[in-house]
Amino acid sequence: MKLSRTRRALLTLANVAVIAFLLLPLLPVVMGALQSEKALQSDLRSLLPRQPTLANFELILTGGAHRGPIFDQVTYLPKSVERFPAAFMNSVAVATSVALLTLLFASFSAYTVARLRLAWVKALLSLSVASRLVPLIVLMVPLYVLFRRYGLLNSLSGVVIAEIGFLLPYAVLILVPYFAALPAELEDAARIDGCTRFGAFVRIVLPLATPGLAACATIMFILSWHELLIPLIVVSRPEVMTVPVVLAGLVSDYFVFFTLMMAICLLGLLPTLALVLILQKYIVRGLVAGALKG
Amino acid sequence: MRREPTAGVLAVLLNLPSGLCLLLILAWPVLYAGWLSIHEVSLRQLRTGELPFAGLANYARLFADEIFWLTLRNTVVFVGVSVALEVVIALAVALVIDDDRVGLSRVTRVLLLVPWGVPPVVNGLLWAFIFNTQYGYLNRALLVLGLVHEPVNWLGHPQLAMGAVITAYVWRTTPFNILLYHAGLRGIPRDFYEAAEVDGASGWRKLWHITLPLLRPIIAVSLILRTTFGFMVFDEIFAITQGGPGNATWTASWYTYRAAFQPPFNVGLGAASAWVMALILAAAGIAYARMVGRRLEG
Repeated sequence: MKLSRTRRALLTLANVAVIAFLLLPLLPVVMGALQSEKALQSDLRSLLPRQPTLANFELILTGGAHRGPIFDQVTYLPKSVERFPAAFMNSVAVATSVALLTLLFASFSAYTVARLRLAWVKALLSLSVASRLVPLIVLMVPLYVLFRRYGLLNSLSGVVIAEIGFLLPYAVLILVPYFAALPAELEDAARIDGCTRFGAFVRIVLPLATPGLAACATIMFILSWHELLIPLIVVSRPEVMTVPVVLAGLVSDYFVFFTLMMAICLLGLLPTLALVLILQKYIVRGLVAGALKG
Repeated sequence: MRREPTAGVLAVLLNLPSGLCLLLILAWPVLYAGWLSIHEVSLRQLRTGELPFAGLANYARLFADEIFWLTLRNTVVFVGVSVALEVVIALAVALVIDDDRVGLSRVTRVLLLVPWGVPPVVNGLLWAFIFNTQYGYLNRALLVLGLVHEPVNWLGHPQLAMGAVITAYVWRTTPFNILLYHAGLRGIPRDFYEAAEVDGASGWRKLWHITLPLLRPIIAVSLILRTTFGFMVFDEIFAITQGGPGNATWTASWYTYRAAFQPPFNVGLGAASAWVMALILAAAGIAYARMVGRRLEG
């Protein structure tokens, strides 16, 4: 059926509104990041940066070493500035480890749920669904006490362990529908040819489920990159802080410049925003699968 | 044929890693939190390693705390308003982007996940900037448009601050609902609509009698997920208001965080409040597990 002209115009307009809803709140971040605090404060009605500058980014990316004319006179810089470069690397390490390890463990479990028809494995799935709804803060109180006892506070491995525990059930939920959707005949054929069940899993199921594995790993990476509460509680020494913790430090820093804060925010959100835009197709399917089918 | 483990043995082996993880990092800590909640635990006890039994003292203290009840009320308001907004906005957007014949809807779909990709703590900071009285972009925009003559102190007023936190949170979380509803709309056979059109049904009637009833299972799942996640909100509270002004935006996670991890570091009290929160959410969790479990078996 053809779309009437008014209907098309209305829907297009509605789409413009939706795009505005999705993107407008990010504009202040960009606008703020591209100007000096002085410029921001000089005119309280201007929306665009008066004199666009990249000074904020230069300062942050060099960990406060490259000050330039704008920060020349500034005696106090927020600690988050000098901590950012190291925190960025920590976040890369943590998110990558979390993504790969959860993917590995979850793919084993998801395979048993999808393929081996056993009652207790099914019960395990229900348990995963339920444990996805355990409030993180409930977990953090005892984990803090336990980590303290076993010397895992202030270590990146402590952060990774806690995040794996929290995210693993979700990873299983995302993967199960992908495995379940693969035709069982391929595995059967491989087994007739002398492949073991595990061999068929590694050689047939895993390669075929690549889109699912990619979706799962990406979602896990993003959720780990976003995680604030776990590293906030596990970590207090600057050298093991992750990006969200460094960003959280801006809240209690009394001398924070908004422009500098927005520049750090922009750098902190770029990696996952890029992933979301580039791998959008996989992520969308993974999120839908994890919520509705798994 | 080569010898290989039976399905049962293989299942045990393959589930060993995640089983251990779940047991050690999820199940045990949750139970241990219950144990902590009936003991006296603060920094001094943690240092000595001796945790004296306290019976229900932590719970008694919790229920006697006015701020705890205020926190529960705030949480209910936060969850109620944000879930309602998430569902209504997501439904509207899902319907807007559903029509492939509108070229722009393809662009919208690509951008859909942008807010979801923003780290929650960044989301909090960015909205803190937007709502800032002096330099914030909301007041700038309102002043430029002439809608206000004086900058509004958004975060200084209890109700406005709650509204600000909810706005920030809903912006980040609504896209997830949009995805679910969009997937749901795609699952509705076109014939249903064509049959209704033959019978002369209007757009609203189609929405009311075909779309919404068929989306109901998905909406139910999203309601449970959004309710529990709303309950757990932390980052936006932390970054935008820190629970303020006064205690106006204290919500469940913030209460536990403040009790256990800020002076005077009363971990026992934090564990008690966390357990009360977990019990409230357990009901929702069981309902969700049943619903999804049935889907998978069906």
